[in-house]
Amino acid sequence: MQPLLKVENLVKHYGAGRSARSKDKLAALDGVSLSVLPKTTTALVGESGSGKSTLALCIACLEHPTSGSISFEGIDLASLDENQLRLLRPQIQLVFQDPASSLNPRWTALEIVSEPFFVQRRYSKPDRAVRALRLLDRVAISRKMAARSACELSGGQKQRLAIARALALEPKLIILDEALSALDCSVQAQISNLLLELQASLGLTYLFITHDFGMAAHLADQIAVMDRGRVVESGSAENVLYSPNHEATRALLAATPRFSEPPAELVHA
Amino acid sequence: MTRPPKPTKWLVVLLLLHGIVAAAGFFAPYDPIEQDRERPYFPPMRIHLIDAHGHLHLRPFFYPLRLREGSFDRYEEDTATTIQLRFLASGARYRLLGVVPARLHLFGTAGSRIYLLGSDAYGRDQLSRILYGGQVSLLAGLLGAGVTLLLGALIGVAAGYFGGWRDELLMRLAELFLALPWLYLLFALRAFLPLAVSPLEAFLLVVVVIGMVGWARPARLVRGVVLSAKERDFVRAARGFGASNLYLLQRHILPETASVVLTQAAILVPQFVLAEMTLSFLGLGVPEPTSSWGNLLATLQQYNVLVSYWWMYLPALAIVPFFLGYLSLASALQERASPYKIEEKTNWNLS
Repeated sequence: MQPLLKVENLVKHYGAGRSARSKDKLAALDGVSLSVLPKTTTALVGESGSGKSTLALCIACLEHPTSGSISFEGIDLASLDENQLRLLRPQIQLVFQDPASSLNPRWTALEIVSEPFFVQRRYSKPDRAVRALRLLDRVAISRKMAARSACELSGGQKQRLAIARALALEPKLIILDEALSALDCSVQAQISNLLLELQASLGLTYLFITHDFGMAAHLADQIAVMDRGRVVESGSAENVLYSPNHEATRALLAATPRFSEPPAELVHA
Repeated sequence: MTRPPKPTKWLVVLLLLHGIVAAAGFFAPYDPIEQDRERPYFPPMRIHLIDAHGHLHLRPFFYPLRLREGSFDRYEEDTATTIQLRFLASGARYRLLGVVPARLHLFGTAGSRIYLLGSDAYGRDQLSRILYGGQVSLLAGLLGAGVTLLLGALIGVAAGYFGGWRDELLMRLAELFLALPWLYLLFALRAFLPLAVSPLEAFLLVVVVIGMVGWARPARLVRGVVLSAKERDFVRAARGFGASNLYLLQRHILPETASVVLTQAAILVPQFVLAEMTLSFLGLGVPEPTSSWGNLLATLQQYNVLVSYWWMYLPALAIVPFFLGYLSLASALQERASPYKIEEKTNWNLS
């Protein structure tokens, strides 16, 4: 099958400005290759500072990579000019870790979810409101909540709102950059189920960025492990989880919290 | 912890104060440039209700002043005649807010003039001159602050949003402006111009100079806000939908700068009123006979005025309520813009 997204040998240096000498440059990405098949979930797992978020920003065309290529449906993103990019952007949407910062606190839920329509000048005005309300329904945000400003919503509601906004332009790929990490367990479960349901009904492709192998195991078909700006291991979820090859993978797996076997006297009680 | 004061409260106070100055023609009893050479440096006069014989009058009145015997500049009340105050009296012609022709004054007198805040060397009424002078000084402050904030916000947004070499260039320029000895620069600029300039030209010169000088500080503040705002995820998200720079600036970034700009405005206006006063005091501002708070104080440069006529200091007091109003407004705005908004909303009352 043709991959939806193909990243090849991607390098991103920060601090590469005029005044910085070459040794001061920080390589956030150091030759990353990755491919994502359509209608699947690929989890990108790594510890903080391993370059996951930089990769997300590069794929969403919010950062320019230093070298390497990203192709989406066979189109090289670097070859597009600003106008072509504007038309392509709706296909790739990003959901951020902290919904408190990804939603403008001055705006109401309804304004936030209809913003993509305004930006892309899609649909007529009354049509936008109808579609926005339908999106809010999808993520179970009530009409009453729609008129509230973003800062009045709970963490889970905010993240559902951010997901609704990402869905507005009917994207093919959604990058979830630690989208569940800031939420508590029950809300995480609720939203991960929402994500699975949306994937099934809309045929979405997810790039799920996380440091949590538990969540990756729950959601992903494929897992890629990142360490210090490189993908060190990738493959099907089962292979990576049950027969890890790389040291970094094993270290991360060992650090995943889990229940130990219950003491014998409790099992029979 | 007390609830921070509402900016609206101070805004209303300021509006009232400005309203009085804007309607100076109504509140001032006389034309500010009308002279009475017979009555130089008259001290402030008192309004009475009870006369020298102990009779109560229903209408307030005053006694005209006469020279004290054996003195050439000390005055005393001449209790032989009483002159009644008339309220909402018709008097000198003026134009309300510079447009509507009118003759109505809050109060007036028939016959002898009353100097509630004394008179100056030419027998002009200090009260009227202070009220009219406020128009010049406050307008200079407001316009100067407007020019400064417009320039500062434009430059700050350009530097912060576009970054790179533009940022470097604009911020170095801002540092240069902060370091300039602008008073001497103004002397030099004034030296270029002809000796006598019209009051309007002088006024515009003052506004332009104080407006040009002050932009660096608000520009740096706005730049800081823009730098942090453009890294916010909601700006990134909007860019991710394909939003243009213009859209991002209009909808997401400029609203973030609003509270800084408003707070700066409340700080800059009194600062610039003071700047106008300094310039006019030194004779670089609005020339006579037009009054401004600065050139009213300029007579204090003469030693005999400084030691003999205390009421010539009164124009300096006029700015006090304005300063307090603006600075209270600034601190109320600043508190409103602080990150602890939720506490404010839940109305903690622990004090």
